[in-house]
Amino acid sequence: MTIKQAEYSRTDGYFGREDGTTLSADLSSDLETALLACATGDRNGLRRIYDSEAGRLVAVAQRILRRHDLAEEVVQEAFLRIWTHAHQYRPGRGSARGWIYAIVRNRALNMLRDGKREDIVAEDRLDALQEAGQMDEIMAAWQKLDRDTRLRECLGGLEEVRRRSILMAYVGGFTHGEIAGRLKIPLGTAKSWIRRGLSSLRECLA
Amino acid sequence: MTIDPKDFPALADEYVLGLLDEATADRIARDLESNQDLADAVAAAQDRFLPLDMAVEPARISASLWTSIEERLGSNNARSASGSPETPSVRHAGNDNIRPGWRVVALSAIAASLILAITLVWTTMRTVEPVVVAVLLNEAGEVQAIVEDFGNETAKVRLLTDFAVPADKTMQVWTLPSRTMGPMSLGLLEEKHSAVLKSISLPRPKETQLYEITLENSGGSPTGRPTGPILAKGFAKLMR
Repeated sequence: MTIKQAEYSRTDGYFGREDGTTLSADLSSDLETALLACATGDRNGLRRIYDSEAGRLVAVAQRILRRHDLAEEVVQEAFLRIWTHAHQYRPGRGSARGWIYAIVRNRALNMLRDGKREDIVAEDRLDALQEAGQMDEIMAAWQKLDRDTRLRECLGGLEEVRRRSILMAYVGGFTHGEIAGRLKIPLGTAKSWIRRGLSSLRECLA
Repeated sequence: MTIDPKDFPALADEYVLGLLDEATADRIARDLESNQDLADAVAAAQDRFLPLDMAVEPARISASLWTSIEERLGSNNARSASGSPETPSVRHAGNDNIRPGWRVVALSAIAASLILAITLVWTTMRTVEPVVVAVLLNEAGEVQAIVEDFGNETAKVRLLTDFAVPADKTMQVWTLPSRTMGPMSLGLLEEKHSAVLKSISLPRPKETQLYEITLENSGGSPTGRPTGPILAKGFAKLMR
């Protein structure tokens, strides 16, 4: 076991530098190596993911759930799933980071939409002030993107209401119905706006 | 009913945004395991929106969070936990149904080990050769040292001359991966002879990348950037 870990620590940097010329690409392939380590039962792998991502993962879950304690609960569950499912990650298919964040996002959305949803809504979402704060936070997610990212530019190219709807769904975890309600438009309209917005976004990012 | 592959990108987006109804979302989640194209589409959608998550301000986390995770790893005991607390199909399954699940888990574990073994062999073989070699010269154009950068946080520095280093000074080795990153330290040459240095992870070294050795105060440059006189410098050549 100790030998295996030593081998790993030697391979880390290699993966980290395989094709990246930027620091962020490096860090991302470190996550790939860490997932591979998890798949072999090496806890250091999980710890490395935790050290580099946990703060952001909790923040992402908290944007959806509006409660810090629930966000931590989700991240805890997510890390167990990362540990037990790391062998399912395929390096050629999408980034390791995308795979990890998707697990946290899915669990946060499930929690929001399961039984706890009503509590969360009752305690937090209906509070108008807090909701205004959440809207600001949702729109800020777009504004905080690096100026030179395509996603920022492509979102900027969408009609305001389409951009807002897409961000409400991704960043805040809102459903079609909730988006329609907040924007005071019929459900069918919300659905088709979002669908067309996503389609333009794919074209723009292609 | 099968999904038309041309709808995959649109479905993948709505799946990633959490906009599908529960039944459709469950179905996609299930199909991901067997449908490669669908899985590719979902992974692409995840990566498309990921920057929105990366831009978030990290939250403060409770000190106990890692401990809680680690405790549960213990009780779950790695592989044996696979699926059971997560996968609904196992939750309500009888013993007979669990066995194939175990087989899948065992096979996946074997597959993962194989991938690991192959990767390790490949990596070990690949790291024997440096990625770049830089010959470092002094101002007079005399060869002073050679740096071999292995591109895995390891660089070997061979000194080819005796350097005069005062007692309170040390030699520090630097490289310039890019203008935006600025000079990065590869490490200190505490003793005045050849050494293998370990640094932080840096971009893969490139042709004509600058390497240099400077004279710094003991313990290395206080600013993290070269401050002292340059003893030798040179540009990398890729190993061919």
